[in-house]
Amino acid sequence: MSATVAVSAASPFSGAWRRLASQEALLAVAIIGLAIVVGLINPRFLAARNLSDILLGNAYIAIAAVGMSMVIISGNIDISVGALIGVLATVSGSLAVAGAPILVSWVVPLVLGVAVMAAQGAIVAYLRIPAIVVTLGMLSILKGGLISVTGGKWITDLPQNFHLADLSLLGVPMPVVIMVLATALAALWMRHSPRGRAIYATGGNPEAARLCGVDPRRTVLMVFALHGFFAGLASLVYATQLRVIQSTTPQGLELTIITAAVVGGVSILGGVGTVVGSTLAAILIAEITSALVFINVSPYWTDAVRGALILATVIADILRRQRRAARGWKR
Amino acid sequence: MSAAIEAGVWRAPRWLKQHETLLAIILIIALVSLGAFNNRFLTVENLLDQGRFITETGLIALPMTFVIITGGIDLSVGAIVGLCAIMLGYSWKTFGFPLPLAIIFALFVGAVAGFVNGYVITRVRVPPLIMTIATLALYRGLAEGVSQAHSVRGYPDWFYFLGQGSVFGVPTQLLLLAALIVVAGVALDRTTFGRALYAVGANETAARFSALPVDRVKLIVYTLSGLASGLAAWVLVSRVTTTRMDMGIGYELDVIAAVVLGGASIFGGSGTIWGTVIGLVMIQLLKNGLALTGVKGDATIVVIGVALILSVLIASSLQRRRD
Amino acid sequence: MKARLLITTAAAMFALSFAAGGASAAGKWDGGDDLPTNPIACEAGAVAPAAAPKPYDGGQPTNPPNLAGKKISVVDVPKLIGIGYFNATAQGMQEAAKELGNITVKTDGPTEAKIDEQIRFIDNYITSGVDGVLFAANDPVAISPVLKKALSKGIHVIGYDANSNPDAREWFFNQADFNAIGKTMMDSMAKEIGEDGGFAIVTSTFTTPNQARWIHEMQDYAAKCHPKMQWLETVEAQEDNNLSFNQATTLINKYGDKLKGLFGMTSVATPASAEAVTKAGQCGKIAVVGLATPNAMKPYVHSGCVKSVILWNPIDLGYAATYAMRAAADGKLKPGSTSVDAGRLGKLNIINGSEILLGPPFVWTKDNIDKFDF
Repeated sequence: MSATVAVSAASPFSGAWRRLASQEALLAVAIIGLAIVVGLINPRFLAARNLSDILLGNAYIAIAAVGMSMVIISGNIDISVGALIGVLATVSGSLAVAGAPILVSWVVPLVLGVAVMAAQGAIVAYLRIPAIVVTLGMLSILKGGLISVTGGKWITDLPQNFHLADLSLLGVPMPVVIMVLATALAALWMRHSPRGRAIYATGGNPEAARLCGVDPRRTVLMVFALHGFFAGLASLVYATQLRVIQSTTPQGLELTIITAAVVGGVSILGGVGTVVGSTLAAILIAEITSALVFINVSPYWTDAVRGALILATVIADILRRQRRAARGWKR
Repeated sequence: MSAAIEAGVWRAPRWLKQHETLLAIILIIALVSLGAFNNRFLTVENLLDQGRFITETGLIALPMTFVIITGGIDLSVGAIVGLCAIMLGYSWKTFGFPLPLAIIFALFVGAVAGFVNGYVITRVRVPPLIMTIATLALYRGLAEGVSQAHSVRGYPDWFYFLGQGSVFGVPTQLLLLAALIVVAGVALDRTTFGRALYAVGANETAARFSALPVDRVKLIVYTLSGLASGLAAWVLVSRVTTTRMDMGIGYELDVIAAVVLGGASIFGGSGTIWGTVIGLVMIQLLKNGLALTGVKGDATIVVIGVALILSVLIASSLQRRRD
Repeated sequence: MKARLLITTAAAMFALSFAAGGASAAGKWDGGDDLPTNPIACEAGAVAPAAAPKPYDGGQPTNPPNLAGKKISVVDVPKLIGIGYFNATAQGMQEAAKELGNITVKTDGPTEAKIDEQIRFIDNYITSGVDGVLFAANDPVAISPVLKKALSKGIHVIGYDANSNPDAREWFFNQADFNAIGKTMMDSMAKEIGEDGGFAIVTSTFTTPNQARWIHEMQDYAAKCHPKMQWLETVEAQEDNNLSFNQATTLINKYGDKLKGLFGMTSVATPASAEAVTKAGQCGKIAVVGLATPNAMKPYVHSGCVKSVILWNPIDLGYAATYAMRAAADGKLKPGSTSVDAGRLGKLNIINGSEILLGPPFVWTKDNIDKFDF
């Protein structure tokens, strides 16, 4: 550790520059750069209304990506989160329509989210079944279970005060508030608290972590439980934005969330990445989706272009890491 | 064995504790119980019919087993199926290729798509999960862009033989799958290539130091994965008589479920073709048996999810007892 | 090298998008299909001229068992389960089954609109020995082989909402003619935004056959009767509420004052577009016209944001299809029949060889939307 410090102090690239070259900075630059480029082509893109709509409409993805990043950093993965969000949104709406106090309909999804994810985390951590298997199975259970129970009936008579996403705190809309708070608190916690840092240790090298006194199994369980909490938050924003709750699992949502985490610099090898990165990445992906409409990319090609951009970002990230590793830095 | 019994502990024989054997036993129990509930399930006609539906995921599951054994994963297979299906129709209708050439072109596109995956994974060293998530989006998008959401239909009759015809009562595509299962099984079990896969998956660094062509091996398996997806696309188009850009959506999860159920470790280093086949058959026959028993689609999905977790739980805990 | 890679990618992206964008702007509305259209005359209330009677062009089951008067079990396999529209058709089927008394209908289908899944469902039910299959196809051509297999086993096959190849089913219930939908939609929009307003379309996916037909019919009808109205763009948003909402919001932000109206082509897209217009504070300034089920639209119709919701009655659609299935099984509905008795809907005529039309599109407004609950 001291050798690394010596190297970085001696090298012309001091701490500030290092931060600038990080994935988060890269994403921030990309977000601003894209906005400028698209703004030149179609100035309406830069209207405050549009930029805030991009943030509001996609905040739930960023919130869920916070939890997903933690899971991936710890060396696991979860593909059931999309189905879980659908289930939690339905639960929330059903409670509200059934006349439960609004606070109950907001809190129950959080608790349920934690419970379901913690169960999966326990199976992964203590029964040592690979996360992809457990979450694949859970995806099926949640998806089928949701339709079985609801019969696919949409929820439409939501009471007026259900819509958490319509509220604002000090003038900032709730989805953005939740997104920023979730990201900031999680980032600080993961950086500065021993339990938070244990996530990185578990993901990077579980054996070494164990030798350092970290219990990888307890950490993984905790990570999944937290992930469930963030999924619950995301489902609240998702459910309370619109007047209709479809009682189905949103298609492809888990892939979008994983992509946000991955583009945000979280490494599937575990141990690397930040939640700030995943939030920025979620914003970038949402911005790209909107930008493609503004610059008149043919709708038949938008998915291909978006896929190409994601690929480019990923490759750029890996190349950047390799160049830094070659120069002898440690992250 | 008698010594073990004398010691007061009965240890099951080794072959019984093999994951594949346990799975096969669970499969047989499941089949017999479903057959008891429903007399149309265990008929030759029904089982052969299910063979048709198994083929597309089955073809992809073979190289996916290789990929997972090397410790990698390929989530883009479904998108490659869609892309190849579109290219088959597009090259026939718009480029004017004669249909046999269009088929070969589609297979070629699949192989190239897989090769791109393998190349970036080995040269640029992007982790497979991330690379194939990105190409999942890209290839599906290409399918939509090229096809402009149009379908190509109206193929000559001979084209449908693969997907809808039978040879001596056995569906054509099932024969194709069976042949490839044998080839894949032999390759994995009896060739140096197969052994290299296990070595790479068990410990890639050690494999590299043992002068195994690790990168070449990986490149080959990802290319095969793409090629198999192209083959699956051909079978699919032949079976449903049209091309659609949304073909293959979700295949990756079905294939991975089969491979993992069959005993391959997602971390690499273990797995067999035989296990994958059992996993494949189990999932398909479970779905079919439940449907015939009158269980509706949504409940079937739940059962499959539970069965997946339970089977892996049972097989892994029994194995752990051996350790 | 990273910089070079990114710059090359960005350049390629722009080149590709402009090329493709230019190509598509050159003519057809995005989202429309290639099949021939038949726009109706421009006057209000005009209907399509009665087509010359066609000979029967459906398929028939091979050696169907004699089920006259006997109890039959029928499966209904819609495009997907879990959306209001198909919940409503299923409801209609249950109503008909209760009235008839000797038919049971079970609705089962994939949870996503995937043709491959739908084929497997139908195949399983063929094996389990149902007497009849009702379907709404995700793809007209891909579904035909499995339906023909059903026919070959003596099973009755009747479609509704989304057709297959004609020879793969006995009869098809068309909810409303495609050109009638096209006319109703464009006329409603023209009434709200005027003859030279700009509008955009939010659809589900470009591969959904019905939506693609409607868009094409709308295009050709508009070219004939509302030539100055300006089509701006079509966006697709799967069947997801949030995605549709985001897409609609993007359109509103992109075009600003140029956008006077939004078309919603599915029961997901329309409420989402209405919500986008409401959130943007543009109620009354941007019209929302679309196909949707009434429950999801009630808040917007009551607030005045949406003046009319167009559909047909899906409950009636399922109801009539079930009556037709009973009639086919009893041998009363066969090639050569000119009408079918559909219970409380009276006698419905057979047109176009083997199609049965439910009737003109139904329009919900503030005055009648509360009477319906689906």
